[in-house]
Amino acid sequence: MTDLFQFPDDREASSAAKVRALEALLIEKGVIGSDSVDAVLEHFETMAGPFNGAKIVARAWVDPSFKQRLVADTPTAIAELELPKGMAGAEGEHMAAVANDAGVHNLIICTLCSCYPWPVLGLPPYWYKDPVFRARGVREPRAVLKEFGVEVPATKEVKVWDSSAQIRWFVVPERPANTDHLNEAELAALVTPESMMGVALVAPPATP
Amino acid sequence: MKLQHHLGGIENLGPVSTETRVFVEPWERRIFGIHTAMMAESAHLSNALHAYPVKDLPTSFKNDWTWASLRTGAEDMQPFEYFKYRYYEKWLGGISQFFVDQGYISAEELSEKTAYFRANPDAALPEKPNEAISAQIDAYLQKGDSGAHALDGEARFKAGETVRIADPDAVDHTRLPGYLRSKSGVVDLVYPGAFSYFVSTGPDGIGKPMPVYRIAFDAADIWGPGKSETQTTIYADLYETYILSSS
Repeated sequence: MTDLFQFPDDREASSAAKVRALEALLIEKGVIGSDSVDAVLEHFETMAGPFNGAKIVARAWVDPSFKQRLVADTPTAIAELELPKGMAGAEGEHMAAVANDAGVHNLIICTLCSCYPWPVLGLPPYWYKDPVFRARGVREPRAVLKEFGVEVPATKEVKVWDSSAQIRWFVVPERPANTDHLNEAELAALVTPESMMGVALVAPPATP
Repeated sequence: MKLQHHLGGIENLGPVSTETRVFVEPWERRIFGIHTAMMAESAHLSNALHAYPVKDLPTSFKNDWTWASLRTGAEDMQPFEYFKYRYYEKWLGGISQFFVDQGYISAEELSEKTAYFRANPDAALPEKPNEAISAQIDAYLQKGDSGAHALDGEARFKAGETVRIADPDAVDHTRLPGYLRSKSGVVDLVYPGAFSYFVSTGPDGIGKPMPVYRIAFDAADIWGPGKSETQTTIYADLYETYILSSS
């Protein structure tokens, strides 16, 4: 889509200089500290990120009653696990999980902007923020999923969740085949952010 | 009718991006950090659920800055520019303009400093750490900014009820996805309690605490019979002011 527009050759260098200038001025004028931006970014290295969501999904796979609790009352279920502080913090104050199963495939979207469940998934990837996904995801979800490599059988219902108020949705994907021998940590390693927003399935482990 | 409020449903845009990176350029991280620091310092947080001590924070930032601020700026853009510029380019434009408009920096200062860093991309930033601000950033990220309130009165609609979505006057900001205006849906869930929004959107209607409902829509009821994928349900969380009785 960006092929339609023309940009100056120094598009990125200009933005990099402008944001550095802005940060420098804000620090000079006491709006933020010189460590403020790094404090923000550090949070998303260690506290909030898809590493949390993957653990939650892995636990849901090994413990069906946890999965039920997770879908019924997401914040309370998440609080059962040993996860970093802040799981009900910024952009996670009201999270809700929906589970894929044999009859339903769930897709999360924010048509108005890019609302995303920060504590369990970290920051949204480019595809989620892109206006083309935001436009087409509610109009033709199966066609969009096909572009992501996901074929939803005609017999399955597709549920699209538009995050237009306080709720931050995420998906518990189906457990793939050939994973009975894996422990929770190994299961978590299979789970991608895309599978937790509904544009990917979790791939079975590579056979050795 | 602002394009940005009506993105859902637009056709003929070509393939979706499948880019999985959050940031595609290192500079994008910095504007994200600036925006989040501004939200953590926002004056309105003194009255938030967690009553953060932002009044005492050693910062010169004295404005409100919330998701509503960022979203409204993006919704205000000329629609073609909205499609042209990448996500964080929009943030950089909006946020730098905000600081100029509010008098924190001048346009001249910004362009001079930008020229300096163009010529000297690796020149250092000023060294002025601020522990109190960092602590407030951590506190804000960990505790958040919920708009939840106790419900004063009763929710107007009940689970299972068929409702019609309103069509309020279009103003600068909304949380009503345009494709749902005037459509018919069913209340799937009445969320307990009431929820405020960061700002009052005037004729659009949100702001004060009110119930929020999860509304289920058959895709065919939104896009028309035979014009949607089958077996598809769309759910949206809508503030009470966006919902009308069907009768």
